Amino acid sequence: MTQQVQFTKAVGNASEINELLRRYGVKFGIYKNGVFNEQFFPFDPIPRVITAEDFQSMEKGLAQRVKALNEFLFDIYHEKKIVHDGIIPEDFIYISKGYLAECEGITPKNNVYSHISGIDLVQAKNGEWYILEDNLRIPSGASYPLIARDLTRIAAPQAFEENPIIDNRGYAELLKETMENVNCGGARAILTPGRYNAAYFEHSYLAELTDSVLVQNDELFVEDNILYYHTYSGGKSRIGVLYRRIADEYLDPLTFLPESLIGIPNLMEAYRSGNVGIINAPGNGVADDKGIYYFVPKMIKYYLGEEPILKNAPTYLPFYEEDMKYVMEHLDKLVIKDVAEAGGYGVVFGSKLTKEKLEEFRKTIIAEPRRFIAQEVIDFLDLPIIEDNETVMRKADLRAFVLSGAETKVWASGLTRFSRNPDSFVVNSSQGGGFKDTWVLSR
Amino acid sequence: MGTISLEHSDRLYWLGRYTERFFTTMKALGRQFDKMIGTEHGYTDYLNCFGLPDIYTDNRDFIRRLLFDKNNANSAAYSLERAYDNGIVLREEISTDSLSFLQMAIDTMYKAQQSSNVRLALLPLEDIVYSFWGSINEHIYDDEIRNIIYIGKTVERLDMYIRMKYPFNIVEKEFVRLLKNLNRVPKGTPYRYSTKYLSDLVEILGTEEDYMKDAEKAVDSLGHLFETEEVFV
Repeated sequence: MTQQVQFTKAVGNASEINELLRRYGVKFGIYKNGVFNEQFFPFDPIPRVITAEDFQSMEKGLAQRVKALNEFLFDIYHEKKIVHDGIIPEDFIYISKGYLAECEGITPKNNVYSHISGIDLVQAKNGEWYILEDNLRIPSGASYPLIARDLTRIAAPQAFEENPIIDNRGYAELLKETMENVNCGGARAILTPGRYNAAYFEHSYLAELTDSVLVQNDELFVEDNILYYHTYSGGKSRIGVLYRRIADEYLDPLTFLPESLIGIPNLMEAYRSGNVGIINAPGNGVADDKGIYYFVPKMIKYYLGEEPILKNAPTYLPFYEEDMKYVMEHLDKLVIKDVAEAGGYGVVFGSKLTKEKLEEFRKTIIAEPRRFIAQEVIDFLDLPIIEDNETVMRKADLRAFVLSGAETKVWASGLTRFSRNPDSFVVNSSQGGGFKDTWVLSR
Repeated sequence: MGTISLEHSDRLYWLGRYTERFFTTMKALGRQFDKMIGTEHGYTDYLNCFGLPDIYTDNRDFIRRLLFDKNNANSAAYSLERAYDNGIVLREEISTDSLSFLQMAIDTMYKAQQSSNVRLALLPLEDIVYSFWGSINEHIYDDEIRNIIYIGKTVERLDMYIRMKYPFNIVEKEFVRLLKNLNRVPKGTPYRYSTKYLSDLVEILGTEEDYMKDAEKAVDSLGHLFETEEVFV
């Protein structure tokens, strides 16, 4: 805390940096009542500071976790040893929305499934870090601390002279390496749903930084099992790796949703034939399901033969009788998450429910035990933010980014999101949260 | 050659057009602002140039709506919004730096709208737009891509200048500029001109007399310049 306040002075005031972020159009989109609005993402100038010592163990723990998750994905879409060996019940695989039977037997180039993993963590008041969830489909958010760092260095250069902060601006290079590692010959492309997507800023900014072509669905086509985009001269140009920012089910209507008007017919065939790399691999949802989260420490032991370095938040699966009993007895103290929801939705704090609602919820859990997980509420460290020229404390989490290319690398930075509401644990930007830079110290 | 997508080439062209429409509208309204001092309904000549109906209550209403009303397709604010709409999907072609000038222009317009001296508050826009074009030159390495955006810019400028009855010597210079840009467009790509309409333009804008006589036809030919010609077998 003392260290945080010291940095507050160093970084200067919020309005200067927010003015710069505004100038560079750092926005995200929100649909409210069916209307699209672009908003500036509120930035707080007090950074989250991670000591070199903390980062060292976090780095090892995150790389270990992502390696195990990649092993798991390969296993699930091939032999399923982890199921046969009784480590994970098949109930958590085949009925998961993220499991795609269409991906059975596909081996992506270099066996990488989760090229870009966004792992959400929180730090408890005792300093210990806990993993909250894994995002292995299309985790977003890296562009915000990336551009904020660039602008903070303009607004407050002295902060970077006086403190041993690791420069995080190599993310684009890291991403480029990751894309090249699975490039099957051709251009790098980023596939965006378009201007009215919540994360459009990120798509276009990363395309610019990685020298990738930014494409939309209707600009792409597959011919003779090769993915191309239409060039303006009436020709075609081959794409070797596609960093898609749209959900699996909209990738290829011939494989997934025949009624879908979007998607690239035969893309999955081109992918299956090894003619194009897709980042992240389709079907990853089976590994970042909130139900599977419970099993990740077991996966680490199973695939890597190692003890997990980072802890999960204490989690219970009502699916297991013993856990159901515990959940029923402590429902008013636990946080319950619907495994099918994301973005901070489907999260219920037992302590905030009325007696009636609690009983109603109890019945829902008993009726659909596979649908929920329950977690102890971690008393996590609040971080200082500036509000109306005063420093106040708010809940915050950290999304760390792990990139799996030829090696698995943890980006020495991350997206720290905070709640602007003093009574809320929900930090998602879609629900009004802001963000901070994350400084990793080199010593 | 031709490595950008068809969609992006279209966006580049319209980015050029709307940015120029915004800029020329701002400059024209600046002059109109001055001309209207001491008059009532001193804006009718401006409306006549574009064939627009007089729906304004007074000079102030005219100037504010033509500047700031985003729902009025003839306003500066509308053109700027459309320029931004096209620019935002071209970030990786034109760069975040170039895009930032459009955002700055939007912010400056917003501040000017709240200001007690609108004209003074709008002055920085000229610097911002020039900086935008400087940034475009700086960041777009591919001559073909840069040429598309400049074609949009020149077509728009010429269209507005002719409608506003600019002197022949100025229109002629802009037309020569457009011809140079058009000559750089490879065959078989969009924005390769239609020979018929280009010939019409050459004829009309060849002499001051023809320009004075057939300005309307020139605007029409400009509007059809990139239409694909029918092929008779």
